[in-house]
Amino acid sequence: MIKLIKTMLVAVFMFTTVTISSSYAKSIRIALAEPPSDELAAFFLALDRAKANGLDYEWTAFSDEELAIQSVLSGQMDIGFGTPYSAMQKSKAPIRIIYQLSKLKFFPVTTKDYNKLEDLDGEPILLHSRGGGTDSIANVIEEKLGIKFGERSYISGSANRVAALLANQAQATIIDLSNKNKIMASHGDQFNTLPMFDVDASDEALFANVDWIKANEDAVNIFVSALLSVYRDMANDPTIIRRETNPDGPIGELPEEVLAELDVFYADAVAGGLYDVNGGGEKAALADMEWYSKAGQLEGDMSTLNIEDFWYLKPLQSN
Amino acid sequence: MISRPLTLKLLSALLIFGSWEMASRAGINYAFPTFLESMGALWNLTISGQIFVAYAETLKPLVTGVLISTFIGVGIGVWVGLSEKFDWLVSPIFIIMQSAPLAALIPLVIMAYGIGITSKTFVVCIMAMPVIVLNTSGAVKNTPSSLIEMAKSYLSTEREVILKIIIPSASPVIFAGLRLGVSAGFIGAILAELKITPTGVGDIISYSRMTADYPSMYAAIFSIIVLAVLFLNVLERIEKSLFAGNDLGYVS
Repeated sequence: MIKLIKTMLVAVFMFTTVTISSSYAKSIRIALAEPPSDELAAFFLALDRAKANGLDYEWTAFSDEELAIQSVLSGQMDIGFGTPYSAMQKSKAPIRIIYQLSKLKFFPVTTKDYNKLEDLDGEPILLHSRGGGTDSIANVIEEKLGIKFGERSYISGSANRVAALLANQAQATIIDLSNKNKIMASHGDQFNTLPMFDVDASDEALFANVDWIKANEDAVNIFVSALLSVYRDMANDPTIIRRETNPDGPIGELPEEVLAELDVFYADAVAGGLYDVNGGGEKAALADMEWYSKAGQLEGDMSTLNIEDFWYLKPLQSN
Repeated sequence: MISRPLTLKLLSALLIFGSWEMASRAGINYAFPTFLESMGALWNLTISGQIFVAYAETLKPLVTGVLISTFIGVGIGVWVGLSEKFDWLVSPIFIIMQSAPLAALIPLVIMAYGIGITSKTFVVCIMAMPVIVLNTSGAVKNTPSSLIEMAKSYLSTEREVILKIIIPSASPVIFAGLRLGVSAGFIGAILAELKITPTGVGDIISYSRMTADYPSMYAAIFSIIVLAVLFLNVLERIEKSLFAGNDLGYVS
């Protein structure tokens, strides 16, 4: 019995010890929310520019945003991709957003049976995931237009939802800019893109532990400066992404068909208003707080929320 | 049935849950709630009825898949054990199924069976059936030949040898396979809900994770573990009622 208790105590001690992660890092550790793709080409270009200015980094691609958020919460990664508003509010974790990478530009695409959002009242709709960005968009559409969608189904990935539309398994969905352009280019005679209001809230943002940010201010400034330079250059000439992408980097190693579409992708994205050349900042913070409150991801009235609880604006203000 | 002292069980639970509580309070991870917070969330899910609605969805593919895997799996396992030709034909399929990474196969399953209950039941079967078939066939093949010879010396028919000698002799290992298969079936059911389309308990887990409601996420995971243990207890009681000598007390 005594031996058993001793064995259990040792096991408990070892369990506790190995779960404490080391926070020491020689380079910044970046948690991506998806594998490298055309959407991340601008980001990797910014990393290349930051590296040329002395920033050392390593990146890990997680399969989804929630894992990236948890890796930053646990201290195993330094900077993550996502919009962790719920995590910031509910867990009281000292993480803050420092840069808006892209806005929530999604588009309702339906069969020819529907011409405007109001026509979807009572109709089923296919979304990404419960509680996710497209679910939030659906909630805000309902609130703004006074309609109520029918049954909500969920399939992750805009490309998968496009496949469901084409296979006639769904009649209405909400997809991203790139997939909207592809389906309308190939099957514009079968589907409609419904007019929708503008959304300035963030789809992807960079966030980190605020204590880590303050302790690594130089590295963060180099990174934010590089991002701003890429975004501003891209706004003037979207083709710089393709031209300056490192052929030996993770984007350069993508299939040629993907690389060949980079110019079109970024031209559409810039024209579609996906990127803020100033990194978002206070404007994006306010838009996010309003949006995610209406969407149900933030609790409490907008007037009770403070920007400082969600954004750390100093890196943008100093660049 | 073998029973272990209640004090040992309570001490074990206290150590595990106490460690959980202490580890969370030590602040190792903001996303790691305390045991008490998680139990509070489980209570809220129970009172609101959300957990019952979720299990009504989760149990559909789980129970269907486990029942199919049990009856068909044991049947195939017995046949494989008795027939060398059938063994040669069928065993490699289940050996490969057992070692194949299920998460990588799920996109193929979706392509073939869609995103409804069929694909989820199929995933449960892929997880549960191989271990049931292989354990059953191994147990049947290893029936002591002395028992079979004894039965034949008493002029038993082949059917009587199978039903009265081989299956009772193989029953401990068959039920060991069933325990492993049921556990694997639970894994398959939740994996299907997380990877295919979120329904049931898998939906509670993914939605809670997405909205940073980590106590509810851990509560849902805890509840599925408790349910799995209850299933194994029921399985042990079934084994005890069918084969009185198989009292090994794995989950008592």
